[in-house]
Amino acid sequence: MGAAHLTAWFAALAIFVLLWQFGEPISKWAFDYPKAWQIPLARWISDAMKWLVNEASFGLFTFTDLTRFIADIVNLPYRLALSLLSTGFLSGQGSSAVQILPPLSWIAVIAVVTLIGYHAGGRRLAAIVAICFGFLAVFGQWQSAMVTLASILVAVPLGVVGGLLLGIAAYRWPRFETALTPILDLMQTIPVFAYLVPILFLFGFGPTAAIVATLIYAMPPMTRITVMALRAVPSEFRDLGNMIGCTRRQMTWRVLVPSAKDSLMVGVNQVIMLSLNMVIIASMIGAGGLGFDVLAALRRLDIGAGLEAGLAIVALAIALDRLSQAYAARAGAPVAPASTGGLVARHPYTVAAVAVILVTGVAGLILPAVQTYPDALKLSTGSFWSNVVGWINVNFFDTFEAVKNAVLLNILIPFKRLLGGLPWLGVTGMLAFAGWRLGGLKLAAIVGVLAFLIAATGQWEKAMITTYLCGISVIFAALLGIPIGILSAERARLWSWVRVIIDTLQTLPSFVYLMPAVMLFRVGDFTAMIAVVAYSIAPAIRYTVHGLMKVDPRLIEAGRAMGCTPFQILTKIKLKLALPEIMLGLNQTIMFALSMLVITALVGTRDLGQEVYIALTKADTGRGLVAGFAVAFIAIIADRLISSGAARTKARLGLV
Amino acid sequence: MPLPAAPCGGFFLLSQTPQTGRMMTASEPKLICRNVWKVFGAGAGEFLGVKDADTSLASLSKAGLVGAVRDVNLEVHAGEIFVIMGLSGSGKSTLVRCLSRLVEPTSGEILFNGENLLAASESRMIEIRRHQMGMVFQHFALLPHMTVLANVAFPLEVQGVDRETREARAKKMIDLVGLSGKENFFPRELSGGQQQRVGIARSLSVEPELWFLDEPFSALDPLIRREMQDEFVRLQSVLKKTIVFITHDFDEAIRLADRIAIMKDGSIVQAGTPEDIVLNPATPYVAEFTRNVPKAKVVKVGSIMRAAKSASGTGATVRERATIAEAAPIFANVDRIGVIDSTGKPVGVLHRDDVVELMMRG
Amino acid sequence: MPLGTRTISSAFGALALSAAALLSSSQWAGAQESTDPIKLTLHDWTGQLITTQIMGEVLKKAGYSVDYVQADYLAQFAGLETGDLDVAMEMWETTGRDAMDAATATGKVENFGPTGMKAKEEWWFPEYMKEKCPGLPNWEALKDEKCAEAFSTAETAPKGRYLGGPVTWGGFDDERVEALNLPFEVIHAGTDAALFAELESAYQRKAPILLWIYAPHWAPAKYKGEWIEFPEYTKECYTDPKWGSNPDAQYDCGKPHGEIWKVGWAGVKDKWPGAHKAIKAFTLDNDEMGQMITKVDLDGKKVDDVVAEWMGGNEARWSEWIKK
Repeated sequence: MGAAHLTAWFAALAIFVLLWQFGEPISKWAFDYPKAWQIPLARWISDAMKWLVNEASFGLFTFTDLTRFIADIVNLPYRLALSLLSTGFLSGQGSSAVQILPPLSWIAVIAVVTLIGYHAGGRRLAAIVAICFGFLAVFGQWQSAMVTLASILVAVPLGVVGGLLLGIAAYRWPRFETALTPILDLMQTIPVFAYLVPILFLFGFGPTAAIVATLIYAMPPMTRITVMALRAVPSEFRDLGNMIGCTRRQMTWRVLVPSAKDSLMVGVNQVIMLSLNMVIIASMIGAGGLGFDVLAALRRLDIGAGLEAGLAIVALAIALDRLSQAYAARAGAPVAPASTGGLVARHPYTVAAVAVILVTGVAGLILPAVQTYPDALKLSTGSFWSNVVGWINVNFFDTFEAVKNAVLLNILIPFKRLLGGLPWLGVTGMLAFAGWRLGGLKLAAIVGVLAFLIAATGQWEKAMITTYLCGISVIFAALLGIPIGILSAERARLWSWVRVIIDTLQTLPSFVYLMPAVMLFRVGDFTAMIAVVAYSIAPAIRYTVHGLMKVDPRLIEAGRAMGCTPFQILTKIKLKLALPEIMLGLNQTIMFALSMLVITALVGTRDLGQEVYIALTKADTGRGLVAGFAVAFIAIIADRLISSGAARTKARLGLV
Repeated sequence: MPLPAAPCGGFFLLSQTPQTGRMMTASEPKLICRNVWKVFGAGAGEFLGVKDADTSLASLSKAGLVGAVRDVNLEVHAGEIFVIMGLSGSGKSTLVRCLSRLVEPTSGEILFNGENLLAASESRMIEIRRHQMGMVFQHFALLPHMTVLANVAFPLEVQGVDRETREARAKKMIDLVGLSGKENFFPRELSGGQQQRVGIARSLSVEPELWFLDEPFSALDPLIRREMQDEFVRLQSVLKKTIVFITHDFDEAIRLADRIAIMKDGSIVQAGTPEDIVLNPATPYVAEFTRNVPKAKVVKVGSIMRAAKSASGTGATVRERATIAEAAPIFANVDRIGVIDSTGKPVGVLHRDDVVELMMRG
Repeated sequence: MPLGTRTISSAFGALALSAAALLSSSQWAGAQESTDPIKLTLHDWTGQLITTQIMGEVLKKAGYSVDYVQADYLAQFAGLETGDLDVAMEMWETTGRDAMDAATATGKVENFGPTGMKAKEEWWFPEYMKEKCPGLPNWEALKDEKCAEAFSTAETAPKGRYLGGPVTWGGFDDERVEALNLPFEVIHAGTDAALFAELESAYQRKAPILLWIYAPHWAPAKYKGEWIEFPEYTKECYTDPKWGSNPDAQYDCGKPHGEIWKVGWAGVKDKWPGAHKAIKAFTLDNDEMGQMITKVDLDGKKVDDVVAEWMGGNEARWSEWIKK
């Protein structure tokens, strides 16, 4: 950091403050973007959408036909999965349908997943998976869970394959990647509610549309990870492929993809997690399942039932996550040479699974308890959780209220006012300046244009409230998450517990804890903040831990040899070297916070999330997407600035 | 000193022309490399295209270019081990990749069996690489998801050879490198040395004429490295491949090479037999490497023998291709030894004084 | 789902589904009624589940095949317009009017008429608040500053706090506060669930609360309290400033009693003419609905059982609906 650098920052800041403090009388337009200059983007989008749905045609068939055709194709495997797991195979439709073949019984499903667990990861994993699925049966979540599982079983392979193909294409054609990257950014950051309406029109109402929405949301990480993973394949493998005369296809599928398998599995894992995140929203457009149960329970204020359904989602997430990770770890492990025995000896798992399915299927016809988990054995926490929340509410509300008021009056409201009063022109200028200093002219242009577009589409005020809410939440998440991360990085046992908690927070639908939070903190920004912090703290912790664990042990040893105290080692060596990683964590925290926006609209915030939600209720595609774009732009601005900052820090620390 | 073909390696020899020995004399060059350049950076082609361009390192870097390979000329003869030796960054890895066009040279000519590779179409290149070239990599590049057998059979699989044939051939290769019984292991279950044996077996599975080895033993522990070098010599004595061997280890180069090319900053500073280089380093840079090499272990008897008028001598004889270090013990009783060639015909006399003088030089 | 036919039609591109919504009536006229299942939407509140399942049971008795689809209250219109969904049994005047109007304006969605249930929606307070604010339920009591302060929180003090519905519900509460000059601040809950979460919390602590409540719903049955008595709603009140106590403002009155409508795909009429008649004929009243909701949400009975009970007790009524 040279002196010139500091001077530039100082000068820019001075101009900004001058504009802010004294500019209003002279240039009102710099504060409130004039209506007359607004770009009618919302109208354009709505019109384009109408045209796409009603008129767009490729001659022989229309655009809608095409999307409906895709929907039908996706529907086939879904129907199959659903029949197998939930409805059984039916003849006929609707209420007049007759079941020809029952679905897999609960015992069969548990046995099969346990076998898969044992195959993938031995006894321990088998136990974990069995417990997770057992939970579903015992707590009466079986039916809904199987519906959810059916859509996950379709969405995840589609997301993985789609993401993989896109990633390979991006890897192979750099130009395609240039075009794809901003689209991926938008896919990941535009709130789902913003494009729900057009999806429903194009893909029809029902599980298929839900799967498509899930794919849009869950596929980008797979694509990104694919590109990264393929790039990270050591060049020797490419040389090998060329040397032995691989064709392009052989190179991709026989050499590169298998060599990148470990990293690719991280992508698979992400797709599973994100798909489960979508369960609630998917249930709103006809996917049903556990998401619907959560919503319905909380509308009854049945906190216990909501929590049980929510935890069922977590149980599914844990089971699927652990299974996928075990398979990833197992890839490359020795396989016993194909034995020459009979069918049973060669395929012990398949044979066992088929046997269980057949036996329970037949037994289920005689004993209903085998087919369906008996009601009499179901457990429920009943009103226990409602009572717990009630008890806390009665005894501690005043304490909570005092804390809440202190935070609200001293931090939230002043910050909100401060941001609300800033001139859009000044903020845009400052952002562009920061972009220039951190990443050069190109970054300055991107950041500046995006910020300007937010103002020009009339979203500035709401965007500022969004920034305030997310900003505050991110600060709290970082203040809590980074220290927790530091503590966990040194204590393996603590870390294993923390991991369970943040996994749960990430997959438990926020609705489940949002309603108790409303009871304790009332409707308003504070409650929204709690929800956002609870969700976005996970990456802050995770990345801190990873960053600290990745610090080269030799450097720590060197520090110790020089006589550093543990505190000095932490502050002078570990944290410094982990800084880029922690900054990436911060970046992710912001992304997570922004993705919670729509949920915060449910507790009455007045930000872009609410705008998206209102647009949804009015079926106004343009309005929703414009607000959605504004959210995406905030995310992209934050992401680009922080990434450049992290890259600079990394370069300065000589870590690249 | 031709060795009888080992039975297990027999069928490789079918594609080989009979060779007379490690010292190449008259055979055709298999691979010729003329004025090859590889310059990284935008506009490299134009830069070199200018007639009489100043192509010094300094002027390249001034133009924002990096000259990884600069004007390399070399010939590799059939059946010889040609070692390219250089420190990291000298361009040796880029050069070897230019030879197989894994890296596209900026300019120059590469003739393989008389065919200009740089003019070959992509499909022709695939054809050549599939059937006539093999390569061993520094970090083995074994596909982690495949067994040893599948890895070795992989190049054949890519060609579409049926399973039975390719596995049979792969099995032979595995036997050849001494890994029988490990066919169903996965690479990560093997030691580094074993992994490289798999890499070697794989590169040989297509029976290549031209065998590239890119620092094959650098990633191994010194003891294992030594063992692998011996193994390599043994294999070559059976296979008689035309070999381009890359290393940064001068001792390794001396030990294995028929001829050595020493690279620095993308150019070859000296090329010749190990003896040439050790006895007459062309530049101080080369001399740095040779200084600590015990010359007696490199220099052949034939190099310092004196022409003899009488064939008889003292009775004790030594072959002209033996090293001085091998001949030295014989001087315990005599001060002159007769030298014979590989057919046993006397060709000269080795004097004790000459040997002592050589050994005194280091 | 008519999967096979759908795939084929899409593949040939001849029968766009959106076009199916516009099928001329002649195509179905005189034809047999379709045997495709009629798809009824289910939302996430009990009353709607009961209404819909009663309708479904009735249609089954008439020999139709019925499918229930879980759908979001507002997002469902996308499905109703294209015929992916057929019938939505509860569209509330207050919360669904905009979306419903937008949908019917396309001509692809038809309003099947009122359910007979009337949504009562108004400001509501728990009974224990009468002690602190003796003039209640008369709205004028709210004008008293002491009373308003009793309803205040740190953020709103000294003004009272009124928890309104989500902004998407409309309701003109901000305007009402201004028109009636009430010392209150309107806070909008984001969702219906948040609204009742706050009520539950306050009720447990016997803490002050004033909020928007609607019926039929389990809340008025579970919690003891009363609706504020505003000046009775008239049309003029909402349109004419001169009406009411404030001569310069509209909305100086209470909220209207809203209808709860049945809506659906416009193609239902031609595809299942008999069912169309039955759906239009369907009515329930507030009291029966209130009782059924209480049985489910507070007594813990199953929706299926409650619906079966109603079907058993009202055979005369529903058989009338499906009479040919």
